[in-house]
Formats: sequence, structure tokens, C-alpha cells
Amino acid sequence: MLNIVLRTLRTNPAVPLVAALVVVFSLLSPFFMTGGNIEAMMGANAVVLIAAVGMTFVFLAGGIDLSISTVISASAVISGLVMAGTDNIAVGIATALAVGAAFGAVNGLLIGMCGLTPFITTMGTQLVARGIAFVMSQGVAVKGTPYALMDFGFAAFLGIPATTIVGLAVVVLASLTLCGTSWGRELMLVGSNRNAARYTGINVRKMEFSVYLVSGLLGGLAGFISIANLGNAIPGVGDTLLLMIIGAVVLGGTSMNGGEGSISRTLIGVGLLAVLINGLNLLGIPFYDQLIVQGVLIFVGTWMAARLSRRRA
Amino acid sequence: MKDTATKVSPILSVRGLSKTFAGKPVVRNLSFDLHPGQVMALVGENGAGKSTTKNMICGLLEPTDGEIQLDGETFARVDPSAHGIAAVHQELSLFQTLTVAENMSIHHLPGSPVRVDWAAADRIAREQLDFLGMGIDPQVEVATLGAGKQQIVEIGKALLQANRVLILDEPTTSLTAIEREKLFAILDRLKERGLAIIFISHFMEEIYRVCDSYVVLRDGEQVGAGKLAEASRKSLEAMMVGRSIGEARLELTDPQERLALRVEGLCSADFHNVNFTVAAGEILGIAGLMGAGRTELAEAIFGLRPATGKVVVGEEEIRAPSVAAMKRRGACYVPEDRRLNGLFLNRPVRENLSAAAIGRFVTRKLRSIGFRGEVKSAAKIVDDMNIAVPHIENAVGDLSGGNQQKVLLGRWLATRPRLIVFDEPTKGVDIGAKFDIHNTISELARDGVGVVMVSSDLPELLNTAHRIVVMRKGRLVGQFHRDEFDAARIISLAASAGKPADV
Repeated sequence: MLNIVLRTLRTNPAVPLVAALVVVFSLLSPFFMTGGNIEAMMGANAVVLIAAVGMTFVFLAGGIDLSISTVISASAVISGLVMAGTDNIAVGIATALAVGAAFGAVNGLLIGMCGLTPFITTMGTQLVARGIAFVMSQGVAVKGTPYALMDFGFAAFLGIPATTIVGLAVVVLASLTLCGTSWGRELMLVGSNRNAARYTGINVRKMEFSVYLVSGLLGGLAGFISIANLGNAIPGVGDTLLLMIIGAVVLGGTSMNGGEGSISRTLIGVGLLAVLINGLNLLGIPFYDQLIVQGVLIFVGTWMAARLSRRRA
Repeated sequence: MKDTATKVSPILSVRGLSKTFAGKPVVRNLSFDLHPGQVMALVGENGAGKSTTKNMICGLLEPTDGEIQLDGETFARVDPSAHGIAAVHQELSLFQTLTVAENMSIHHLPGSPVRVDWAAADRIAREQLDFLGMGIDPQVEVATLGAGKQQIVEIGKALLQANRVLILDEPTTSLTAIEREKLFAILDRLKERGLAIIFISHFMEEIYRVCDSYVVLRDGEQVGAGKLAEASRKSLEAMMVGRSIGEARLELTDPQERLALRVEGLCSADFHNVNFTVAAGEILGIAGLMGAGRTELAEAIFGLRPATGKVVVGEEEIRAPSVAAMKRRGACYVPEDRRLNGLFLNRPVRENLSAAAIGRFVTRKLRSIGFRGEVKSAAKIVDDMNIAVPHIENAVGDLSGGNQQKVLLGRWLATRPRLIVFDEPTKGVDIGAKFDIHNTISELARDGVGVVMVSSDLPELLNTAHRIVVMRKGRLVGQFHRDEFDAARIISLAASAGKPADV
């Protein structure tokens, strides 16, 4: 029994933090544990969850994708414009995924095939995507997206928002891909030791290309979900999300050095930030004070993750 | 000169110097005297303890036992800058993006901590380079210099610190013949200055050219010392190799007719026109010194380095070699540096074992997603190879060197290869693991696998190989069959500066 508890703690170091926060906020605020609040909390984080899954793949392979936040914006805007013209949701989804995949492919080509560093490359595409989002929307929310999509954004099953269900489906699929396919295993090995992967016969460049492609695709999906959530395609929707996304992945316990982590950890990490922000809002803590708490939590979380993973074996 | 030198008191005296790493003695009871103006050769095979000795004398390592006397004063540990001792290590250690002058004065920058006197640094470097007599501009960036000139800069840098003892570790491996002669001329001038020099080299010609005395190490023990004029090259080589060779030879089965690998006219920047074959069931050893191009050759066969020429596995010519393409033809390469190029240290033993053949375990069924049979396969390899690991889910980084090496070997054996190329298969592993690995290799050969073994451990090659080819400076220069193995001849062929013989 104790062993199972310890193992869970080791693989998911953020679990005790989530539990502690839930207890504290339940005691401090009577609204925290209500169905309405829980639903709102989940719905507000579906976009971050999907993007964080993409970022987790990139981290596991030993890279970083700074562009994922504004790829959300660009794919939302372009998809929104297409849907405003066609009123067709299927075309909208396809457009969002295509835009995300295009950015991912550019990142993948530059990093995997041309050997540029991930940090600089994705910083560049981040700016390009942001620029495109604002130019194409002329800086304002894209109106005229289908009502059916907004309805989907408000829908919930058994108290779980539809958008969150999409996010959880992504989590399950991603987890199966990581743990059950040779692509997932080789991704982990490339992140663990790039040289050894090459000497083992893994096509490291192709792997790097594909991981940024996947990250771009998930950014595109997240962009589409943001339209359902907000009712409009907002050009600045992703701008503030990058630190949330990275913070969630790192807090969950996935290493930025690659080869160490999992999708389930990221789910916990997103949950942790979701609970924290929601709880602080309920307590009426001002936004800028919240930033301080978030920052401190990131120190504590990563420190705990490092401590626990060192106590392996 | 030599006779007068021995009459003055020694500049450096070493008495009973010993070093133990984790309970394992690496250098035992080393004693010698070094006089001003004397050049002493420190010789021995790879792993004999030369580097450890060098590092103790230049203060990088603290001796476990024994004492070092400088001008009669005894020290437990050398402080290189205070005691005027410096070493030029085998690997060049200059900062490529800095200038020659900056590199040379990096240990002791002139001027104050807030304002470095670059003009003085420049002047110091220029004086030193002038003395060395090489036309090197102290203002140029080190990266623009060739390996030979960089070596001279290293020596100049060391001389700024060394006014008593200079240690040179394989200083000529990256030099051309002309540069080598210039270096020897510099050494002669340093002798006249009264500097004592310890010269580490594998090349016997060089040793007889520049040295006055010698110390021979074997397995960490001093097996010989004296004046070089009184020792023949043959006797020196015999001391290095010792009598342990030839004992406990493995029983080998005869190779088959069928070829496992044929390499024709392979060329690259590191080696020239290499031709050899390996039969199925044959173990071919590749002997040579460090820097002879052996690793580069092995990696080129697997497409890890660019090369031109023909690589034929079995009957099939591999047009564009890559690790994956070779793997499909049942050929695999086990690299030398297992931590850098072999293992996924933070991943479990299981994943490391299946890394080269993960596709075999993938199931198409959604119900049982995961890798069918992976655990069973890993457990079997652990069992077969006698790998000491608490659980296959333990990270590979937690294992000992020998067990790590077995994991790396096991990974490739799981692909059921027909040809294996090993690069230093037992480097840094303990005796027990070494024995296990040798047995595994001979069993592979018995089952008809072709084996190529690059090794700097000559006794290992003599023990396990059917045939040994010798590589020197990028060329195959000789070949020995098992019934004509001769350690001294192999060493002298690997280290001689003569014309390559026909293979």
C-alpha cells in the first residue's frame, strides 16, 4: 500500500500539491466545491490542456515550442474567418488543424532538418504567428462564427464541459501514443540521449520534425476549441497562455531536458494551475498578487519534482 | 651533458607513489628521480597508469600514498603554478574562439582584476613564441591555427608556468613530420635551459630520439627503469607487454567460408583505402594506437561518418550505409563511449534493451496496447547475459560499468545480428564482466556471427581474435593470424613511423 502511494508520488510529484490546494480552498471558500465552479474551472482550461499535451511531447524529445501559444491565435483567427465565410464547422476544424500543422512543419523543418536551435526557431515562428493573427483579423475579434460552435462551447455532460471532454480525449490518445507506439518510445529515447538514439538507428531528424508537427497540430486544435469557448476568434487569445502551458508541464514533473515525464503528469500540472487560479479568484486575490503566488508555486513544484525523481531506485 | 646532469641533485623525486580508485589500485609504488636537463620517457600500454601518474605529478590528482619531492622539499600534493610544473595533455585544451595570447595567459592574466593588461599578455606570449621559434602571431584566433601550431601554443602556455618540470603526453600524434622535428629541436633547447621533461609516447623512434632515461609501467606497476642508452627497443617492448600474454586463451572454432563483411577501398578524411574481410564465425581484431582511425573506420562502415568506398554485408552491397540500413541486414555496431553514444541513462534497463528492436514488440490490437513480449524479452537477456540488476525497471545509469556494457551488448544481441562491430568492448569494465563479455563474443562466433573488434587492449585481442589487422595513421599496415600472434611485433608495427607494409 505504502509502495503504491510512493510510486504515485514519484511518477506524479504534483499530486500532493493539488490535494493540499483543494483542501485549503474548500475550507476557505464555500463556493469552491460546487458543481458550477468545478465546471467553470474545467472549461476555462481546455485550451491550455490541449496545448500542454503538445508541449509535453516537445519537452520529452528534448526541445521546446515557444510558438504554440500564438499558433493557437493564428489558427483560431484563420479558422474563424473561414467559418464566417462558409458557416461550416468541419471546414473550420480542418483549417485550424492545417494552420497548426503548417507552423509545426516549419518549426520541424528548421529544427530537425536545418539544425537550428528550438528556442530561437520557435521564438521566430511565435512572432510570425502572432503577426498573422493580428493582420488577418485587423486586430479585432473575428465575428460570424457558427452558433452551433458556441452551443458546443456551452454544452456539458455529467457536469463536464464538452471542450474539456475533447481535451481529455486528447490526453488519452496522446498517452496511448506515447506508451504504446514505437514512435512514442523512440521520442522518449531521442529526448533521453540524442547521440545514443542516432547510434541505435533511430532517425533523429525525422523524429524532431514529427514532434513539432504534432505540437503544431495540437496548437491548431486548441485554437479551434478557443473559438468554442469564447464565442469569437480572438487574435490575442494565445498571447498570455505560453507561461501557463510551460508552467503546467513543468509543474506536472516533465523534465525540460527530455526523456523524463508523461502525459498524465501534464494533466495533473494543468489541474494544479487550474485549481490555484480558480481558488485565488474566489478568494478575491487581485490578479497581480496571483502572479506572485503562481511564480512561487512553480519554484516549489519543480523543487519537489526534482527531489522525488532523485529518490528513484 | 647526460653525465653531468646525473651528478647534480634531482629536481623531482618520486618515492612509492600510489593511486587507488574505489579500492582498485591504478598505480603502485612508483619511484624515480628526474634531474635538470633530463628527458624521461614514461612508457606502457593503454591503461598501464601513465595518465594517472602524469596527473599526480602535475597536481590534478592527489596520490593515495607516497611522496613527491621537488628540489628536496616534500609535498603531499603538487600545486602546479607554485611548484613550476605543467603538463601538456593529449587532448588539446585551448579555447578555440580566443586569441593565442589570451589562451597562453589565461591562468595568470597580467594587470589588475578589473582591468587586464592585454598589452602585457601580448608581450609575454610573443616572447615565449619567439623562444619556441615558431612563426605564430599572438593576435590570431586559435581556431585558425592547425593542430600542429596549436600544440606549440599549448607547450608555450605550459612553459609560462613550468620552470622546473614539463610533462608532454603524446605530443606528436597531431603533428606532421616537419612539425615533429621542430618540436624535438625545441625540446633540445628546453633541456639546455635546465628544464626536466617527462615524455609520454607510444612511438619508440621518438623516445630514442629525445629521451635520456625511461620508466616502464605495466598494470600500474613499475616494471623497469634506467638509462635508455642501455636498453634496447625490444627489451623495452617486452617489458611493456609482459609475460601475461598467451595465458588462458579462449578456445575458438574455425570460421566458415562465407563472408560476413567485405570492405573495399574505404576512404575518408581519417583513413585511406581500407580493405578487409570478415568471414562468418570469425573474430577479427583491429589493433592500433589512439588516433589511428579505428573508431572512425568502424563508424564509417555504419554511415555514422561520411566515407567513400564499398561496404558489402553478406552478399549485398550497402549503397547508403546507415545504422538503420545495416540493422535491416543484420549488422550492428556497439560504440566505445557507452554513456555518450550508447545508453539512455535515465531510462529503465527494459527500454534500453529493446531500443534497437522496439518495432518487434508493437501490437496492432487496441485491447492490449503496449509492447507485447518486451518485458519477457528483457528478462531473458538479463538472465542470459548475467546482468546484475535489481529490477528491469531500474534506470541504466544506476548500474556498474560492466553491467551497463552488458546492457548495451544485450540490446544488439536482441536484434539477432549476423555481424557485430565492437569498439572497445571491455573498456572500463571489471575483470568478471570482461570475462563474461569475451565468452559471449566467442559464442557468437561459434554460432556463425562475423565479429570485428576494435580494441586498444592488446592482450584482449590476442586472447579472443582469429586474426588481427594493425592500423596506423589511417592505414592497415599489417595482418597476423592466430598462430603467428606476436605482441611485440604488433606493438612495434602499430607505433613505428616506417613505411606501411603490404597487407
